[in-house]
Amino acid sequence: MMIPVRCFSCGKVIGEHWEEFEDRARDGDEDPAAVLDDLGVDRHCCRRMMVSHRDLVDVVSPYQ
Amino acid sequence: MADEFDVEYIRGDDREARILVRGLTPAFANGLRRAMIADVPTLSIDTLRVVENSSVMFDEMIGLRLGLVPLTTPDDFEYGDTVTLSLDVEGPDTAYSGDLESSDPDVNPADEDVPIIQLNENPSGENQRIELEAEAVLDDGKSHAKQSGGVAVGYRHLRKVSVVGDRGEFDEEETNILRGVIETEDGELVPTDEFDHDLTERYPGKELEVEDVPGAFVFHVETDGSMTVEELVLRGIDSIESRADELQEKVAV
Repeated sequence: MMIPVRCFSCGKVIGEHWEEFEDRARDGDEDPAAVLDDLGVDRHCCRRMMVSHRDLVDVVSPYQ
Repeated sequence: MADEFDVEYIRGDDREARILVRGLTPAFANGLRRAMIADVPTLSIDTLRVVENSSVMFDEMIGLRLGLVPLTTPDDFEYGDTVTLSLDVEGPDTAYSGDLESSDPDVNPADEDVPIIQLNENPSGENQRIELEAEAVLDDGKSHAKQSGGVAVGYRHLRKVSVVGDRGEFDEEETNILRGVIETEDGELVPTDEFDHDLTERYPGKELEVEDVPGAFVFHVETDGSMTVEELVLRGIDSIESRADELQEKVAV
């Protein structure tokens, strides 16, 4: 639903980088790998958190 | 075991560092690693009093997310001490960890930009709203991973790389991957990411010998922000020391 606060595997806080990642790589046209390197998300366990995430809050909110 | 340890910072900042320690036994190095992960207590939100929650998430899910937000932890707290924080955000807006207001000026979210929950407008036209009081408690990583100050703390042997000759003329050039930190023949310490973790990048066409340096460990210490790397290492050592003192006292005749 929302980006998890921490990486499931190692516990690094990754939630704070989501909005920038979304702006630059999802909605923007930058290379996701380069954006993640730039954000300091180095380990592949943390990178998959960002790459495989989908925000669903807007999808769910009409069904309150 | 040596009476004195030789400690050297290789690279690092407040959140992440590589530290070389010489004169350790493998058992003590692992003891220090475990102390940093599980025995250094940090403050984390553990209980909520929810006043209003009309967001799309259940109270429990909000509680879990808030618990995972690291809080700065001064060293004058005892196990079980609590700090109260409050959160009050009305949509359309996103509640961030930075919106948490703490009753203690020394205890604050280490990262201010962690999204907790996005608040929209309900179908009935009301704005979603979240208002709660949270109780942060000091505990260690044995009770819950959120209480652990260290993230991916580990160590590797320091490896000494020496050139023993030239590679045979018709030998195939194979990649020689090594991760961590190497010591060159001149005693220089080089993190392997400087040459893409491949020894053939640094020593092209050479035949190399790689061996562990006995008793030398390179720790990779990363914290979640509740304290600096230096603080985490020192508190880990203090924890080992206090337990050793306790044991000595208990077995004394």
